[in-house]
Amino acid sequence: MIRTRTWIVIIAALAVAAAGAILLIRFFGAPGTTAEIVKGGEVLYTIDLDKVTTEYEIEIGDEDGDRNTVTVRPGMICVSSADCPDKICVNTGWASKNHPYPIICMPHELIIRIVGAEGEADAEAG
Amino acid sequence: MKKNLSLLFAAAFVFLSLSACGAPREYASDFFAMDTYMSSKTYGTDASGAVKEEAERLESLFSVTDENSEIGVLNVKGSVKASTETVELIEKALEISEKTDGALDITVYPAVKAWGFTTGDYAVPSPERIEELRALTDYEKVDIDGDTVSVPEGFMIDLGAVAKGYLGDRVRVILKDSGITSAIADLGGNIVTVGDKPDGSPWRVAIRDPNGDGSVGVIEVTDKCVVTSGGYERYFTDENGVKRWHIIDPATAQPADGGLLSATVIGEGCVLCDGLSTAIFVMGAEKAKALWQSEGGFEMILVTKAGEVLVTDGIKDSFFLDGGSGYELKVIG
Repeated sequence: MIRTRTWIVIIAALAVAAAGAILLIRFFGAPGTTAEIVKGGEVLYTIDLDKVTTEYEIEIGDEDGDRNTVTVRPGMICVSSADCPDKICVNTGWASKNHPYPIICMPHELIIRIVGAEGEADAEAG
Repeated sequence: MKKNLSLLFAAAFVFLSLSACGAPREYASDFFAMDTYMSSKTYGTDASGAVKEEAERLESLFSVTDENSEIGVLNVKGSVKASTETVELIEKALEISEKTDGALDITVYPAVKAWGFTTGDYAVPSPERIEELRALTDYEKVDIDGDTVSVPEGFMIDLGAVAKGYLGDRVRVILKDSGITSAIADLGGNIVTVGDKPDGSPWRVAIRDPNGDGSVGVIEVTDKCVVTSGGYERYFTDENGVKRWHIIDPATAQPADGGLLSATVIGEGCVLCDGLSTAIFVMGAEKAKALWQSEGGFEMILVTKAGEVLVTDGIKDSFFLDGGSGYELKVIG
């Protein structure tokens, strides 16, 4: 009898703890703003932008000699220079938690996309 | 022991029900097609394969850079026996040209090419060349005879200003036919929505700030297309420091200068929104207002060089200006 009661307490406690944990994650523990740098369909870098403390650059090159320089700052990311013909990736500017829309370099098949950020909108026209 | 098991099941049930929450499953995908980046999110049913296939199918008909597409053949030979869809889209584009007094012109391609916007080899054409290019631009010279489309020598057609719109209309039909009641797709910057969000609230579409990294505001829409044309991404700076963007005014064969930094058109038909956004960017706010008043059937958000955001009366309650953007909001009545 005592054993059964112990089990009830343990299971009830586990259920409450599990439910509590899920609720906490759902409402308070929103995942950080993460940037994924994708080239040719492959994720090359995954960067938690919330954990970035100092600015740094990443050179993205390939065997064709294509080059994009990505600049990462606390909470934000952009393509700062590129040798593509149209420079649309550079002109797109920064992506961040509040502006979580993808940066695209079509000629180099490069995508920088933000995951885990709820922006002010579902998409951006442009 | 039985009691223990049932308690265990109860705990498992609480755990699972909390994590599922009853929302329809989201299916997201992204891909490159029609020389641009596209992404879609559908709810309840996965239709990403169908969206991509349709984009690739239309690209094989409309692509201006593919010599084997119907448009490619037309531009090389001056004439093509085209599919019903290509003829239909050319006719729709010509209708928009007429409505906008030629501000949209699918024959402006030789000028777009001469300015280098197709290759990235940017150059300001000489005044003589500009005159030649003007003579090679006239939508009224496109001839449609049954399924045969022809243009005069030296003329070229580019459906770039309406092709993504056509895809948008097709995508909405395909998604709705699959029973999807909630979806959003970004087709190279053209935003296409089906129904509302899964939670029943309208879709929120940000309008890019042409002067900065943020947005000028957000428009809430249900079952609509939102298309923006602007000069802020595809441009070059000439030797005098002047920004020259890719939207060419068919009347001058030079980058459009209608006083706008961007023009967004919102409506049911994506071809109309797509074509009109280009035309309105070219014609400027005054003519756009007159067009909106006389034609109707669409709403617009115009960002002017003077720092104003002009929105038409029909969306004044569903557009929310970003307070920090520094723009002045004005309603067009």
